[in-house]
Amino acid sequence: MKKILINITCIVLAVLFLAFLQKLFMPKYMSSIYEGNLIEEYYDSDKDHDVIFIGDCEVFSNVSPIVLWEKYGITSYIRGSAQQLVWQSYYLFEETLKYEKPDVVVFNVLAMKYNEPQKEAYNRLTLDGMKLSKSKIDAIRASMLEEESLITYLFPILRYHSRWSELTWEDFRYLFNKRKVSHNGYLMRSDTKPVTVVPEGRKLPDYSFGENAWYYLDKMTKLARENGIELMLIKSPSIYPYWYEEWDEQIAQYAKENDLLYVNFLPLADQMNIDYSKDTYDGGLHMNLAGAEKFTAYLGKILKENYNLEDRRGDTKLAAVWQDKVEFYEWMKQDQAMEMEKYGYLKSYGAAAQAIIN
Amino acid sequence: MKKILIGIIVVLLLAGCSGGEQVQSKPQDQGYVFNYNGIPIVVNTDVEPVLKELGEPLDYFEAESCAFQGLDKTYYYSGFELTTYPKDNTDYISSVYFMDDSVSTAEGIYIGSSVDDVLEAYGEDYTGGENAYIYTKGDSSLIIITENDEVISITYQALVEGLN
Repeated sequence: MKKILINITCIVLAVLFLAFLQKLFMPKYMSSIYEGNLIEEYYDSDKDHDVIFIGDCEVFSNVSPIVLWEKYGITSYIRGSAQQLVWQSYYLFEETLKYEKPDVVVFNVLAMKYNEPQKEAYNRLTLDGMKLSKSKIDAIRASMLEEESLITYLFPILRYHSRWSELTWEDFRYLFNKRKVSHNGYLMRSDTKPVTVVPEGRKLPDYSFGENAWYYLDKMTKLARENGIELMLIKSPSIYPYWYEEWDEQIAQYAKENDLLYVNFLPLADQMNIDYSKDTYDGGLHMNLAGAEKFTAYLGKILKENYNLEDRRGDTKLAAVWQDKVEFYEWMKQDQAMEMEKYGYLKSYGAAAQAIIN
Repeated sequence: MKKILIGIIVVLLLAGCSGGEQVQSKPQDQGYVFNYNGIPIVVNTDVEPVLKELGEPLDYFEAESCAFQGLDKTYYYSGFELTTYPKDNTDYISSVYFMDDSVSTAEGIYIGSSVDDVLEAYGEDYTGGENAYIYTKGDSSLIIITENDEVISITYQALVEGLN
């Protein structure tokens, strides 16, 4: 009996030790590549959102949920991640429905250009942050490159153990408690790098979106319909990567056939008052804070007009929750302004749409 | 018992090794070569010596790389643009894109060549849909797009995970 107890204790301790090591070795994304935290942060949110955004950096860099709240009383969350592929957006949408049922889901269509998995590092930024669920497993299966294996996603220690020699103070400091980096999924950047040159779109052998991309967009449309959720398609006003007219026509046609609202915001820059010499932090790929606020203000009007979303600012309980978010937002604005003044660049906010996992 | 537990831990830790190494792409075989004024330009090779020989570009664009850590860069020269991707603190050539008919491939194909010229130069072993002729060699592809039996676009493209 005693021997059995000792054995059980040893097994439990070994499992706990491995769990600890796994947590220690996983990248924390606290001093760079902040977008690695976005998917995970959602689970700590209040999950009472009128609108959920899904998609790539063109949502998490360009849309400010705080503006939607302050201007329209719309609650929203961005379930965005770096180079989020269509099937990942679909499974994130599916997973979100386990927690809440928004009125509207907004999907940014740039990802339609990808028909197959692209890069493990990007898969990790989206999938590692998801809680274990059938949606996560399905998302992993849909996203894996040939050389990847499911087990390394289920037990990330198998992927990250080689980081043991590269551990830094950050890995210990944020082992159990990470600080929040986003504003309901929005990654703020208030610095400016104007658009100077933008490469023209190269001619492509084929402008048709791939079957796989269509398959998951279709699934998204059906999922929304089955759950009484409005699906809106957008092309965010980022001017690079190039958005081809041929792509735009396909999305517009799809939206028409499926009775969805699709808005390409690229030709609406003037109406939104977006000035690409001031409103982007990386030469046109992503909006900076000023650009995101302008775009969101315009987008909010469209959401309000088309989906009859209630202004919830009168709900005192909800207003109190959002007041905290607004304060965090304003604090970060100030902090970034101070960093700009002190260093001339955002020293602690160097979020870049990039990732290499060691 | 102790030995079994230690064994399990070691096996688990080692099991992920092979998967992890796949993230870094490996040096691959040389592919198609574009010659510009006697300067050989090969995708997936270090751009620095090429830039030295080419001289000052007409224009330049850079953007945070979506696939790699660092900047994707585009250099504009007369007749073509050259793009790079970063890896291990080095910029490698990711593509060469012809912008007009002042440049041609080493096999003599330029914007304006006929489909017959393309087939004669590169043969029938291509992929691609209607109006597209994609030839693969080593770690590069040569993408030729035609319209009305005439070449309208030529690109040398590096074949690298996450780039295409």
